[in-house]
Amino acid sequence: MGAGTLPLRFALRELRGGLRGFYVFIACIALGVMAIAGVGALSAGLADGLAHEGRVILGGDLAFSLSLRETDDQERAFLARQGRVSLAATMRAMARTQNTREHAGGDGGSALVEIKAVDVAYPLYGEVELDPPQPLAQVLAQRNGAFGAAADPALLARLDLAPGARISIGSASIEIRAALEGEPDKLAGGIGFGPRLLISEAALRASGLVQPGSIVRWHYRVRLPDNDITDAAVSAVRAAAATELPEAGWDIRTRSNASPALEQNVERFTQYMTLVGLTALLVGGVGVANAVKGHLDRRRDVIATLKSLGAGGRRVFAIYFTQVLVLAALGALPGLALGAALPFLAAWAFAALLPLPLVPAIHPLGLALAFAYGILTAAAFALWPLGRAHDVPASALFRDEVAGARYRPRAAYIAATALAVIALAALAVALAYDRRIAVIFVVAAGAVFVLLRLVATLLMWIAGRMPRPRSPVVRLAIANIHRPGALAPSVVLSLGLGLALLVTVIAIDGNLRRQFLAALPDKAPSLYFVDIPSADAEKFDAFIQAQAPGAKLDRVPMLRGRIVAANGVPAEQLKPSPDAAWTLQSDRGVTYGDEVPAGSRVIAGEWWKEDYQGPPLVSFEKRIADGLGLKLGDRITVNVLGRNITATIANLRALDWQSLGINFVMVFSPNTFRGAPHTHIATLTYPGAAGAPPSARDEVALLKAVADAFPTVTTVRVREVLEAVGGLVSNLVLAIRGASALTLLVAVLVLGGALAAGHRHRVYDAVILKTLGATRLRLLSAYALEYFALGVATAVFGVAAGSAAAAFVVTRLMHLPFAFVPGPLALAAAGAVLATVALGLAGTFTALGHKPAPVLRNL
Amino acid sequence: MHDTLGLAHAGIALSGVNLSLGRGAARVHILKDIDLNIGRGEAIGLVGPSGSGKSTLLMVMAGLERADTGTVVVAGETLGLLGEDALARFRGRNVGIVFQSFHLIPTMTALENIAVPLELAGSEDAHERALEELAAVGLSERRHHYPAELSGGEQQRVALARALAPNPAILIADEPTGNLDEATGSEIIKLLFAGHEQRGTTLVLVTHDHALAARCDRVVRLRSGRIEPAPQAAAAAVRA
Repeated sequence: MGAGTLPLRFALRELRGGLRGFYVFIACIALGVMAIAGVGALSAGLADGLAHEGRVILGGDLAFSLSLRETDDQERAFLARQGRVSLAATMRAMARTQNTREHAGGDGGSALVEIKAVDVAYPLYGEVELDPPQPLAQVLAQRNGAFGAAADPALLARLDLAPGARISIGSASIEIRAALEGEPDKLAGGIGFGPRLLISEAALRASGLVQPGSIVRWHYRVRLPDNDITDAAVSAVRAAAATELPEAGWDIRTRSNASPALEQNVERFTQYMTLVGLTALLVGGVGVANAVKGHLDRRRDVIATLKSLGAGGRRVFAIYFTQVLVLAALGALPGLALGAALPFLAAWAFAALLPLPLVPAIHPLGLALAFAYGILTAAAFALWPLGRAHDVPASALFRDEVAGARYRPRAAYIAATALAVIALAALAVALAYDRRIAVIFVVAAGAVFVLLRLVATLLMWIAGRMPRPRSPVVRLAIANIHRPGALAPSVVLSLGLGLALLVTVIAIDGNLRRQFLAALPDKAPSLYFVDIPSADAEKFDAFIQAQAPGAKLDRVPMLRGRIVAANGVPAEQLKPSPDAAWTLQSDRGVTYGDEVPAGSRVIAGEWWKEDYQGPPLVSFEKRIADGLGLKLGDRITVNVLGRNITATIANLRALDWQSLGINFVMVFSPNTFRGAPHTHIATLTYPGAAGAPPSARDEVALLKAVADAFPTVTTVRVREVLEAVGGLVSNLVLAIRGASALTLLVAVLVLGGALAAGHRHRVYDAVILKTLGATRLRLLSAYALEYFALGVATAVFGVAAGSAAAAFVVTRLMHLPFAFVPGPLALAAAGAVLATVALGLAGTFTALGHKPAPVLRNL
Repeated sequence: MHDTLGLAHAGIALSGVNLSLGRGAARVHILKDIDLNIGRGEAIGLVGPSGSGKSTLLMVMAGLERADTGTVVVAGETLGLLGEDALARFRGRNVGIVFQSFHLIPTMTALENIAVPLELAGSEDAHERALEELAAVGLSERRHHYPAELSGGEQQRVALARALAPNPAILIADEPTGNLDEATGSEIIKLLFAGHEQRGTTLVLVTHDHALAARCDRVVRLRSGRIEPAPQAAAAAVRA
């Protein structure tokens, strides 16, 4: 056994003494690593699920999608040459019950539905699940004067329908023959506003809903021949489409990116959850530092003995650093096991509930990353106290030294600590989905650490300079706060970090709820009307004014277009910021107009004159323009109805997205789309927030009247949409709260560990004071006061820091207004103070129970 | 005042050594103008009242404290010229220390404790040599026991074996029987002197026991940080 293995040999011998003093260390590392490994494994499982099920989710090996128009002959011939083709057309419409006397339900017999009209080849992959089970063709066939349909059970419940009931879609009569229990390609369609209604292509065409300009999306899915379904073949077809039909303007997706928006959201969510996991690890790092410091304090004699026997400072450091690495690995391994098991557990326990496919597997790289985070965190927090071990004097064996003076470790150890911290930060940033967010997190975490240290120092400084109180209880409490070896820095750091995170999550949660359930509905329109035919636009205006006098109707033209190039650079080659990437993913609504739209403000450039007839101009939303790297004078090419149109950016606008009014990223000059078929979109806002909002009954009555008078117009109740989105947001926040709870658990462990580390001193103090005449009640009161003071000071900082972080996230990242939420925050702060006092007193009770004699004998 | 036996065959040679400890108002001049030569293989008893600087003088000889002024030469090496790590290595090979409180490492067995200085020095046969040392102090059968499982006397025997294992040039014993009963203490002293005589190590023994000090070749008395002259030298000075 050589000198190289000496540190490990000695480290392992040292650990024979047991792990006392290291339980919090190991638990903190285990929990933090488990969080990061679990998030990574779950995310990889979801990504694998999406990739594995790509062709089922997409509905084919490739999907070609068009808005507002169908394929022409040339395009159809191209697709037919590639393999088997299936058509699915999607649009929103109003479903009306045919027998209103029988109708129960609160919607006046009308409901917004998401129509999917399919051909006989559908589905190319996967199966449609129907109840009662039967062939799809049989369900959708036309018989007895009606087309068949399968409906989402939610629609059946909403309109109080049973299988066999008939509804009207446009001018078509539809018989609901089955409940739609499963749709293989549902995920690719994104979130819909209404329940699904699956009908045949023939039924859609018979409904009269497909008019020039109607917002219909035509999806052509291609299944490649079985003998050639490689990724190369898919890529070849995509390339051929770009070469042979460059002006088609279709949105092409392949089975490997069946739902880019979904994948991005999974990645984005993974990032946030990883950051929360990292926070847990950072809080745990404080526990690591406390444990190492406590261990080295207890091992002072052993270190001095080793030095007297010939061990140099570096060797002593190597022995104890090796010990820390062994312990960190001991903590990381169960964390890895639990984290790796998480997707398997989720698949087993929640398979039926998960909205996304999950393919659990072991991902060694993700686990290695989580392990690296754990070890780096342990190193970053342990190097500083370990560096001090280098300088423990061997002369300590000859001389009884009263509590060692605080001193910094040598420069080499300070540098090593800095390197470990930088490596940790670099890892977090380099592997992040959104590096800007990661950098903000790293900087904020560093700032919080520094500030907490300052808070502790300030607290101790104030305590040290307070006038001497008359009460001995108060005097003892204050002295305990600032004496050498006081608990203040550990308690403030561990409690402060956990509380700051909790407050951040609570404040963000509170503000999101406020927005979606209170503030937004107050200023949002009540109803949206979509697919108003151009020819009926003025008639529609008059109808609405008669039905809802005094309400404000805003109506604008609407087409669908896809950004295909910017300044001549194809959209696929642009590098948008994460915030702007969504604008390139598929078609967007576009409009045109003479005037600056309501809810917009021109902040750069000029609006065109009312009778402008020159080359196409476009007004762009400023943040999106910045995200796409566009400025005034740049050219943007959009494909609308199969034609590429290039317009020059004439001005940039700021939008108030929260108004939920009709907001468009791109507004073109009116001459741009002259002659193009299109429809209109309108919003109806009832008068004044001070006035009574419309009752649900009034809204439903209007909804029914519109559906009867204008069967092709789709009406969306904004309140329902906000509730649906609010529900989604609540679920997301629930997940983040769960991860935060883990961080809180770590914080409580660290706090408990920090308080327990002071136990030896407490016993010493308690014995001496009891010998001198102090009663247990007096001592308890002094300790309770000390913990209360620490808890309150930390709670004030925690609430302030957490609120500041939440304000930053809500205003700068989510672009929403921020409001302080005092109730929940006060509760969190009170809980923190209570936890500090309770944990502190729990340890103190046992200290006070020690009999003096045995302790005094050993002094 | 200084001890003036010749420098020629010194195991330990201190010349003009001064050492102060503490800071500011709390700074105390512990060792004052110490001149001391100890021959190779000589045994000296170091006596003096509490606070006279005995422990500090031991630490200077062992290289555990650096003198503020003067030179310290131990086993031919000038300690003031060695860096920290070199000093540690020197100590491991050349200085064996027996403490009053034993200071065995509690998580290592008796055998492992003895092997520590040998392992630190990179010896390939550390465990074999440790076994021999353990046998020399009569504790072979306790080799796998931990310090908590040994009596005080047994712990001190292990500590002695550990100090002798590297065959050091210098053996320092700081009140080695201070925590032991009389009978056990005698055993330890017997082993201590046996080890010193068999190996020819230079022995520096700090003790309050004048009878024990008298067993050494020479007694050096320390008072208030200074070495008191030997009685015959003092008498000669008076006569002169």
